[in-house]
Amino acid sequence: MTDVVIVGGGIAGASAACKLSAGGLEVVLLEKQQAYHDLVRGEWLAPWGIREAQRLGVYDCFGAGGAWEIREWMTWDEAVDDDEVEAVDMTGFIPGIGGPMSFPHHAVCELMAAQAVGSGARLVMDASRIQVTAGREPVVTYRTPEGEHEIRPRMVLGATGRGCTVGRQIGVTMRNSMHHWGGGMMVEGLDSWPADVQAMGTEGDVMFMVFPQGFGRARLYLNFPAENKLRYRGEGGVERFLAAFELDCLPDRGKAVTEAVPAGPLSVWPSVSSVPEGPPLAEGVVLIGDEAGNADTVLGTGLSCAMRDSRTVCDILLGSDDWSPAAFDPYVREREFRLDRLAFGADIVSRLHVEFGEEAVERRRRARRLMAKNFAAQVTGLLNMVAPEDVPEFGFSEFFAERLFRETA
Amino acid sequence: MTEKKTVRVNDVDIAYVDEGEGDPVILLHGYPDSSYLWRHQIPALAEGGFRVIAPDLRGFGDSSKPQEIEAYGMQTIVNDIVALTSKLGIRRPHVVGHDWGAAIAWMYAFLMPRRIDHLAVLSVGHPGVFARPSIEQRAASWYMLLYQFPGISEELLRRNGWRLFKEIMGRDGDHDRYLRDMARPGALTAGLNWYRANRSPEAELRPARPFPPVLAPTLGIWGAGDQALREEGMLGSAKFVKGPWRYERVEEAGHWIPLDAPEVVSKLLLGFLGTEDSAQAERRPRRRL
Repeated sequence: MTDVVIVGGGIAGASAACKLSAGGLEVVLLEKQQAYHDLVRGEWLAPWGIREAQRLGVYDCFGAGGAWEIREWMTWDEAVDDDEVEAVDMTGFIPGIGGPMSFPHHAVCELMAAQAVGSGARLVMDASRIQVTAGREPVVTYRTPEGEHEIRPRMVLGATGRGCTVGRQIGVTMRNSMHHWGGGMMVEGLDSWPADVQAMGTEGDVMFMVFPQGFGRARLYLNFPAENKLRYRGEGGVERFLAAFELDCLPDRGKAVTEAVPAGPLSVWPSVSSVPEGPPLAEGVVLIGDEAGNADTVLGTGLSCAMRDSRTVCDILLGSDDWSPAAFDPYVREREFRLDRLAFGADIVSRLHVEFGEEAVERRRRARRLMAKNFAAQVTGLLNMVAPEDVPEFGFSEFFAERLFRETA
Repeated sequence: MTEKKTVRVNDVDIAYVDEGEGDPVILLHGYPDSSYLWRHQIPALAEGGFRVIAPDLRGFGDSSKPQEIEAYGMQTIVNDIVALTSKLGIRRPHVVGHDWGAAIAWMYAFLMPRRIDHLAVLSVGHPGVFARPSIEQRAASWYMLLYQFPGISEELLRRNGWRLFKEIMGRDGDHDRYLRDMARPGALTAGLNWYRANRSPEAELRPARPFPPVLAPTLGIWGAGDQALREEGMLGSAKFVKGPWRYERVEEAGHWIPLDAPEVVSKLLLGFLGTEDSAQAERRPRRRL
């Protein structure tokens, strides 16, 4: 008898499989890949997400999968003069946790899946055509090379990420918006880049991100305007992607990055954020992770949210036999509150940092001056580091956002 | 590689690889390895006509991981090897060790002179040299002091995504596997307990006893790039060996010689094991009254 089928073996699904199987439930984890490999996903876990990983009992999967603590954030940006560049210490936001972690996503998922199997879960790789029917007795069908399969579990967790495969099948609709495009690639040989330092900044028509993973490896991301979305596609795309890091605001004009060697595929995507139009669940099915709704990736909180979702839902499943939709009310309410705040913050960050052109630069300059003068104006930045509920309330008022943009207009 | 077998000795389960037929060779790994360290040498030696036994020493790999410090005294671990060989019906094996495995091999050799054929030690010299380390060796062994604090060392090594552990291990050996192994239940403490039981400052205060001589023909191998163990350990070992002593310095290897120079090590072992006669134990003249 299967208690829970989890659809999707990513960060949310695999961590839930670990927690639930360790708690004694019969778990089946369905993953569509034949074997885990680099799909270029989010690879940055905020300190508050690390705490969730500890609560889920999957913390070591991160370390063993290649997680690297990042300690400083250098504010290299075209709107920051060389002598004003600051090193933001990221290790002190949550006592005992340290800085955020950057890691190869697929390696960590693979270890989590293995840990879940070690505690009794059944892992099915290469599961395609997954079909979920909600109801008091939910049904999951899927296909593997061996044939068609059907499971009738007590509960299904949908964790298929931004594809929202399960959500669409159970009638959860999303309000989608797209502000810009994004792309990412793993590189190695980044030897002259300080291993403790991440960078996020804007220059010209790119917002760049460099997240070191130790020993010369790093995940690079670029966010760029939708008008020119195909610029890194096609032949020479990888070279153009790397060359885009040749920026005046980076030390040595970004030489450490432009000379790095690709160590994985380059992937480019429209940066869509999706807010569910109702609770992300149905009778017998609960959505977790990006599938339950997400904010723009510029915040870097997707994985932390996935861990929080996984932990909250697992606690409910392990805490009582009541698995009715009403039992998940605390999850639905907390998640809605959290996504409200994250979407609000992501909107501010996108407008400030992922818009390009002279006007946008001037606005960033003025915003930085305002933030330097009044530290409280940096409140949105806290959303990267501490859990959304721990960020002061005033940062989420229309009044604050309006003032920030009016005073910097 | 064939499946590991498991045998119960000394109240612990010891997992081991057993391959090939012929004169038996025991391969002993160090920290934080397992029998997997010898994956290049096992087929080479089996092919060369040896029966190769490579155990996961207690605390490592698939073997038991008692959590008490006292379970990891050198003599206890030597006893594991004695019990393992006698269970397998092996009377006089060649013994090869790397790192902690070399320390065990040395001790096995001088405690059981009649139960060893040839001895080959990689990276780590005779414990007599290590008992009086130079200040340079003490500095290189700084991590051994860090490992001494039960609970605290573990926390320091694990936190921030095992950052300190990774920095200590660097990119050496099977660095991408160690963390997965150490994250297994009880493995981190078990591994550190080797240092706690045998390398504590308190252990250094215990009165030293003279070491019985090593009679077996002995091959010492040291990698020129070794950051953890200095050459003095191997060079100074000669005086503890009564049997034929041979020293090989491998320029292109660091600390993990079996991985850094797999073919050189296999070749050296194949050319050395079973080729020399051991020294005879000194017969003490009978005292006449």
